[in-house]
Parts: sequence; structure tokens; C-alpha cells
Amino acid sequence: MGRLFWKIFFAFWLTLIAAALATAAVVWALRGERAASEAAVALGLPAVLATDLAAATLRHGGVSALRDWMSEVPRPRGLAVFAVDAQGADILGRPVPEAALAGARELAGSGEARRAVREVEAPGGQRYLLFAQLQGEPRGRGRRGPDTPPWLMLVMGAAASLAVSALLAWYLARPIRSLRWALRAAAEGRLETRVRPLMKGRRDEIADLGEEFDEMARQLEKLVEAQRRLLHDVSHELRSPLARLQAAVGLVRQDPRRLEASLERIEREVARLDELVGEVLALARVKGAKPASAEELVDLAELVANVADDARFEARAANRALSLECADRVLVRGRAELLQRAVENVIRNAVKYTAEGSTVEVRLSAAGQRARLVVRDHGPGVAPGDAERIFEPFYRSRANASVDGFGLGLTIAQAATAAHKGSIRAANAEGGGLRVEIELPLAAAA
Amino acid sequence: MTAQVLLADDDAELGAMLKEYLEREGFGVTLVHDGESAARAALSGSHQIVVLDVMMPRVDGIEALRRIRQASRVPVIMLTARGDDIDRIIGLELGADDYVPKPCTPRELAARLRAILRRVRPQPEAGGPVSVSGLTLWPEKRRVEWRGKPIELTSMQFNVLEVLMRNAGRVVTKKELSEQALGRPLARFDRSLDVHLSSIRQKLGEGAELIHTVRGTGYHLVKD
Repeated sequence: MGRLFWKIFFAFWLTLIAAALATAAVVWALRGERAASEAAVALGLPAVLATDLAAATLRHGGVSALRDWMSEVPRPRGLAVFAVDAQGADILGRPVPEAALAGARELAGSGEARRAVREVEAPGGQRYLLFAQLQGEPRGRGRRGPDTPPWLMLVMGAAASLAVSALLAWYLARPIRSLRWALRAAAEGRLETRVRPLMKGRRDEIADLGEEFDEMARQLEKLVEAQRRLLHDVSHELRSPLARLQAAVGLVRQDPRRLEASLERIEREVARLDELVGEVLALARVKGAKPASAEELVDLAELVANVADDARFEARAANRALSLECADRVLVRGRAELLQRAVENVIRNAVKYTAEGSTVEVRLSAAGQRARLVVRDHGPGVAPGDAERIFEPFYRSRANASVDGFGLGLTIAQAATAAHKGSIRAANAEGGGLRVEIELPLAAAA
Repeated sequence: MTAQVLLADDDAELGAMLKEYLEREGFGVTLVHDGESAARAALSGSHQIVVLDVMMPRVDGIEALRRIRQASRVPVIMLTARGDDIDRIIGLELGADDYVPKPCTPRELAARLRAILRRVRPQPEAGGPVSVSGLTLWPEKRRVEWRGKPIELTSMQFNVLEVLMRNAGRVVTKKELSEQALGRPLARFDRSLDVHLSSIRQKLGEGAELIHTVRGTGYHLVKD
């Protein structure tokens, strides 16, 4: 039970008790007033019957008949009938309770009690006040119900309010405890924690909070898993050049005459390691880049043309060609350096994979509020179903598992376009080859 | 006679270097680059020992090992990534004889190859059958029977059992076992022996009770 539970619990309980006490005080005040007259004079049907009989007896039989009737006829249970003269003396000489007499007089005068309290003239001219009084303890048949002792009512009220308060406090505090538990679990690295199932049918702000938490945990889990996989892949990729380095060293040790050839190999592997580390760092930088909102204006047309020029030069050296179809000014908002990396990686990838003698087609256009760059090669394309996987780190197409490149270029391109709220897609083109399409929001639209 | 080694590694450059090294160390080396050709070549029966890289595209080393073990007891060494204990244990459980963490020096690989080859070659000086508690072992034929039923063991499992049987009735430390059966000093955190032992027990069935584990020390084959 946390502090919140006790706070809600006490606040609510005290409120309930205060409300109960106030109600009780009002009820008691009202009841006390009525009790004075009611306890003294009976007004129910038995009392009416009894006074009726007494009145008839007195009127026709006189005082002595009434006296006989009163002393001989057994009274209805717990009911005593009084006949009191003007001096306040009962005809049987019984002591008359003062409160009852005063109450009866008052009631007779007001006419409120009608036949239960009445004044009757005896044949002798003497006037008697007739009324009945309940005798002894009332036995649970009265309108007020059992007359519970006040201390018991207090205890019962306290217990009931206690239970209700505890229930309410528990109802409010429990989901918060669940949330706290889930947050702690997440902090301890258990990101698969979900809190919504613990809240079952609940539908309120706290449940919404739980849902938000679950969503956050899901995202974090995905991110952490991606990072973990990347780290695993990177370490595996680092091992290959290291294994070759060790083999090269082993060869020299075996036969020192091979020193020159092995040193060349060692240099090559070191360069590859350096390149790999550079790529991984680039990926980390692109992924960590802030969303490009208030960045510089970049003319994508100029950028693509520059990259295409460089790539064309490289392609020609490898007996491949590159064609460029480019709109005039295509302005996007973002970081030129990241965009350049994305465009360069996609175009270079196409040049690398396109068949000898074929042409890589690059087309940049602006339609609606999006800039669209399409790069199409005439290479082996991707295996069906792998179109999305080529953006995964270290993915290399099966057809070309050569050691050239690490499979990070398209991953970097994807991260860079994502940082600019753009998208990148790949699919096999009609007639063979791969078609990569990048879409970015135009500056005016941003 | 030069020992024929089948080397399966998808890194063509590394494979070529290792081949060059091993050939100059006096091995005959066949190089393949994927698990499928590795399994096929291993089952052809023309190699005395197989080296499988775990990480290979399509059919990986583990799957190749599974295929090889369905039909052959040829000794297999797995090349596993350093620190990847899961691969190691799965490999040993599937019947690999040993593993070498990658990257490794070629010298280490050659030494491991020799150690295993030395131990799987029938040794004429080994003498006649050894018999303990219902187990019978013919060193020269590399054959084991439990109560008259033949038990199929890989070469390393055979070596481990042989050492235990020859020392039946006393505790054999892990250090001794590693040196005598696997042909290499015991390394820290090395679970190879435990995995081999658990495979042997599994194959022995009821006979598993013969081998007791002495925690922290070694193993003990009961002599009746």
C-alpha cells in the first residue's frame, strides 16, 4: 500500500465520517423534538380504538362504568388508557406522567390527533381528557424501527465508511501501482513488460496512460533489438577481416619469404576495417541526426547532378553508362550532407550491380508536394520477398556475395531519408534490374 | 599418407589462405564455400576430417553438421565466433568433435587438426578389447558395445569413453580427460567435455548410470 492509497483512503474516509456525523446530528435533533410528545401519547389504531371505547363507556355509563371497564377489561398489549380530569387527576388514581399529560393537552387542542386524544363530558358534567399511552419498551412494531443504541450506529457507520473508502482508494491506487511496477521493470531492462492487461476492462485516463506506456515499451524494445542486432552484425563483420589478418600473419610466420605478399594483404584488410568502422559511424550519425526542420534549403537537382557526374565517371571506367533526367530546381529542406550520402549510396549501388555495358537510369522529378528520385539499374535485382531486406544492415544479395562493400550503404540511405521525413522503396523493375525510389517533401510543402 | 581435410568457409579469401597454410603443413585440403557442398563432399568419404564454419549463407555449418552426422562419423571441427557459446554447445551436441574459435591463428587450427587425427587413427599398439561393467571397447576397430549392443559414438566421444574405461573405478579429472581424449589442455569455461559426456550418457541409455559426475573434479566410471 503506497502513500497515495493512504491519502485517498483517509481523505475519503474522513469525508464520509464527517458527512455521517452531520446527518446523524440533524436526525437526532428532529427526532428528539417528536420523541417528547410521541413517547408520551400513543396515536396508532389501537390507541384510537381504546379511547373510542373509553369515551363511549364514559358518555353512557358514567365515571363508575369507565372505572370498572378500565380496571376489569384487559388492556391491549402495552397500552394504558388514561382519563384525566381538569385537575390532572386520573380516575383510577394512577400517577399520570407529566410529559404525557402536557402532550395530550396540546394534541387535544390542536385537533391533530383527532380521535386518539379527546375530551369527553361525563353524565355528571365533569370533563375528562382521554388518551392512551404506550407502556414499557416498544417491541419493534413501531414506525421508527428498532431503536439502535447510538454507539452501535457509530461503529457500524465507521466500519461501512472504512470499507467503502478502502475500496475506492484501492480502485484508484492499484493501477498506479501497476504502472509503477511496469516502469521499474522497464528501467531494469525488461522491455517486454506490458501493463494494459493488468488493467483489464478499465477505460479511463489511467488506462490510457497504461496504453501509452505499453506503446513506449514496444518502441524501445524494437529499437534496442535493432541496436543489439546491429552490434552483433558489426562484430561479426569485424571478425572476417581480423580472421584474414591472422591467417596472413600465420602465413608469414610459416614462411618469411612471403613477407611482401602478406604485408600487402594485411594493408588491404586494415583498410577494409577502417572503411567498415567509418560506415558504422556514419550510420550511427545519420540515425542520431535530429529531425530536419529548420535546416538549410537544398537544391536536390544540383545535388543529384553532381553525384551523377561522379558516378558516370566511375561507371565509364567499368564499361557501364549512366543517364540523367533531371527537373530544374527541386528544393527540399534538410541537411545537404545527409541527403548527399543517401543519393550517392543509391546511385553507386546501382552502378556496382548493373550489368556490364548497361545503363543506370537516374530520374528526378517534382510532383505535387513531393520530390521523387528514381534510380534503376540492369543488374540481378533482388530475390522475391527480399525487397525490404536490402535496407537491413549487412544485407548482401545472394547473387553477388562478393566481398566488395558491407551492405551498409542502403541502410544509411534509408536512415537519411527517414530523418528528412521521406521514404525509400525498392522493387524489381520490369524487364529486370532493381528500381529504388526516394520520396522527399518539397521545401514549400514543409 | 597425407590427411585429407575438407574446409568449408564462405569467406573465399580466408579459405584460400588457410588452404595454403595447411597444405604447406602437409595436409591435403579441399575448399568449399557453403554448407550444402560441405555436407555432400563430407559424405563422399574421401576426407579424414572436416572443418565447418558455422556462419555460412543458406545451409549453415550447424545444418551441414546435422546432415553429415546422419550418415557419417567423420571427425568434424566447428569454426565458431568467439564468445558465441550457444553455437558451440549446439555443435557439440550434434556430434561435432571439437571447435575452434574464430578468428584463430592458422597454427592453432593445424594443431587442433593434428590432435584429433592422431586420436582417431586406429592405434595398433592399443591392444585388445577393454571390458568394464558390461561395456566392451575395441580400440583398433573403434567399436563399442553395451551388453552386446553396438553403440554409435563420434570419434571424440569414443576417446572420452575409452579413457574413462581404462581408468574405471577411479575419478578421472577433467584436465586428464581433456589432454588424453581431446588432445589439448583444458581451457577455462570450456564445456566441450560436459557436452561429450552428456551425449555418451544419452547413447548408453540405462548404462548412463555407470558414469558418475564428481562435481568440480571430473568423471568416474563405476567398475563392478
